Amino acid sequence: MSMIQLHSVSKVYPPDYAGVKDVTFQVEAGEFLFLCGPSGAGKTTLLRLLFRSEQASEGQILVDGRNVTRLKGAGLAAYRRKLGLVFQDFKLIPHMTALENVSLAADVVGVPWRQSRRRGFRLLSELGLKDKYGVLPPALSGGEQQRVAIARALVNEPEIVLADEPTGNLDPERAAESLRLFARINEEGTTVLIATHDPRLLRSFDGRVLLMHQGRLLRREDLEPAASAT
Amino acid sequence: MKLAHVAFVAGRVARSLRELLWTHLLTAGVMAMTLLVFGGFLLIQENVGQLVRGWGQEIHVFVYVDGNVDRAAATGLRMRMERYPEVRAARYVSRERAWEDFKSALGSQSGILEGLDPTMLPASLELELYDGYRSRDAIAGLVERVAALEGVQEVEYPEAWLERLRLLLMGMEWLKWVLGGVLFLVAFLIVGSTIKLAIVARRDEIEIMQLVGAGTGLIRAPFIIEGMIQGLAGAALALGLLRAAFSFLGAELLAPFGSLAAGAQLTFLNTWQCGELLVLGWLLGTAGSVLSVRRFLA
Repeated sequence: MSMIQLHSVSKVYPPDYAGVKDVTFQVEAGEFLFLCGPSGAGKTTLLRLLFRSEQASEGQILVDGRNVTRLKGAGLAAYRRKLGLVFQDFKLIPHMTALENVSLAADVVGVPWRQSRRRGFRLLSELGLKDKYGVLPPALSGGEQQRVAIARALVNEPEIVLADEPTGNLDPERAAESLRLFARINEEGTTVLIATHDPRLLRSFDGRVLLMHQGRLLRREDLEPAASAT
Repeated sequence: MKLAHVAFVAGRVARSLRELLWTHLLTAGVMAMTLLVFGGFLLIQENVGQLVRGWGQEIHVFVYVDGNVDRAAATGLRMRMERYPEVRAARYVSRERAWEDFKSALGSQSGILEGLDPTMLPASLELELYDGYRSRDAIAGLVERVAALEGVQEVEYPEAWLERLRLLLMGMEWLKWVLGGVLFLVAFLIVGSTIKLAIVARRDEIEIMQLVGAGTGLIRAPFIIEGMIQGLAGAALALGLLRAAFSFLGAELLAPFGSLAAGAQLTFLNTWQCGELLVLGWLLGTAGSVLSVRRFLA
């Protein structure tokens, strides 16, 4: 069963810059896939359309059978609670500790305080930040901030994880650790879509890879030359 | 809303009050000044009202009887008038008694009455009225009925005074709401601006909360509660300052009224009015924050 379906989705910014052009694809429930392409290819825009930070100019996005293209208000909030999001710029709240940042996502869905802290601490420990739970984000390195952002995305055990360059600031060892975490939650049934421009991530990956270039999803016949380019 | 959400909102309010402490204090202070002016006016109005009501108790209706009405007929008239719902008591004042009262009112100058006929003043009935019947309209109705009675020559009452008192009380009531309206608008805008500042200061945080699935209510609630707290704190501070000012200034407030206030007692706002002022502060804070949140947190 398809968890995510995009039908001819485009996003045009005024006056006429197309961030995403006529993209159609499906992601099966429980699938783990990468969205690859160089900077400016439209990966981030596509993710923003998926978590409805942007609204598609054309086309339709169905998630778990529900059209999310025009969601607003309570419906949008409820939809986002199914998602775990990792942002390229981390989006951590600077005056809240690492643990508070992670627990925030659990707090907003009504998880009791003690339980949300326990979950947050467990995830931070798994990501090697056991000793940094009380530290404010500005005092953390880029890699550490990224891991806090990953922990926040996973704290509610979401149905879908959308991650934008989640390993961009991590050294190879930490990147592999984070990917293992994504793989583990994927094994538990979570659908994972990771946008990256880092070809190293794909070396040991045997799942599906979508390639984007200049806002378009490359067709199957385009894949071979594109893949060899990465 | 779940209990965990309540705790979450409370935590965010506490954090905001801590982080923007001076902004919140300043707003509560300005709110307090605004409500202090309004509360002060309420206090003045209450006491002037009491003073005026005291004067109102002195208002009597004088019914002058015909010269040919003897004491027995006058007693009949008195008993009849005492049955009117407006009349608390009716006192018969004979010609002789009227003469004596007049002389005593003149005091040391009573000599000017030498040689005049002591029966020149008419006998009268002095009507004392119940509290609820001292308005101009109520008295006019009574006067009309009394004047139509046989044996009544003329009915007098301090119509001009009643009109002045009515205008004074009405003017104060109007002034209260005009002044209140201006002050409430100021308070409303100030609370709204503070909440706007708080929203701007936490813009990134709000965006992140929205992205992790926080509902509109959960995002708005802390700001609205902050507005409520500001309003309530401002009103409580205003009441405290008003009470202190009342205690310090005390009787000096009556000085401008001179002998008119002789025997008058100043009173502070009653519990109900204090409650009204607190509710007013709370409502202003809530309305200012709700409007601001609706406008800037769309």
